[in-house]
Amino acid sequence: MLGTLGALGVAAASGVLAAPRPARAQPLGLNESVDVAMKRVFAGRPIRDGESLIKLDIPLIAENGAVVPVSVRVDSPMTPTSYVKHIYIVADKNRIPVVTRVTLTPAAGQAFVGANIRLGETGPVHAIVEQSDGTLWRSTREVKVTVGGCGG
Amino acid sequence: MSEIGKVRIRVPSSIKPGDVVQVRTLVIHPMERIERDAQGKIIPKTYNYIHKVVVTYLGKTIVTFDTTQSVSENPFFSFAFRATDPGPLKVEFLDTTGGRYEGTVDITFA
Repeated sequence: MLGTLGALGVAAASGVLAAPRPARAQPLGLNESVDVAMKRVFAGRPIRDGESLIKLDIPLIAENGAVVPVSVRVDSPMTPTSYVKHIYIVADKNRIPVVTRVTLTPAAGQAFVGANIRLGETGPVHAIVEQSDGTLWRSTREVKVTVGGCGG
Repeated sequence: MSEIGKVRIRVPSSIKPGDVVQVRTLVIHPMERIERDAQGKIIPKTYNYIHKVVVTYLGKTIVTFDTTQSVSENPFFSFAFRATDPGPLKVEFLDTTGGRYEGTVDITFA
């Protein structure tokens, strides 16, 4: 799956960037708009509203965009037949919108992840959850950023 | 800044068999941001950042993070796992220059 992402990523990047970059260096996150990123990663699959399913915990006001703690918890059983397969964190206004993709296995016991992320400017942050049957759910928070943390 | 590649892992002090345990982990790493020249063009080079984090418990991969430069410097992650047996919990961080930093904690039951 990562290989596919990488190949598609290079195809998408070549139109946007003057200088091609090695596929290995940028397999997941590319300098692209969030629309392009969503299309590339989710291939236009429908994403349902998962506000009640997903607990996305992120400060409403981030004073320092360089370090913003975010955590995602999904109220879903983690059994071998039905579990949360991926959790994506997407920040719309970042130059690299896809922050991370977490791959979980049933052995995790609980669909919970946390990370410190960078936010370039004020904008929505999404947690997108992919279950083992391929259904996608989304939860969104608007985060105000006082000092941007992305640079580049 | 302290040395690159120093991994810290924190697990709760007392774990019972079958517990779902939340773990926090961190690696000292610069997570280089994209640089631009005066014209605003991206300078093409291999930026050094963590692109993958792999968590293994009892030899099995349980959680993987694919990460980008949108993750903070000295990346911090947390995750959960079900502690079934005593054994090693290993966290590996891979960066784009081929660097590989790992830390291990032994899961024991009180």
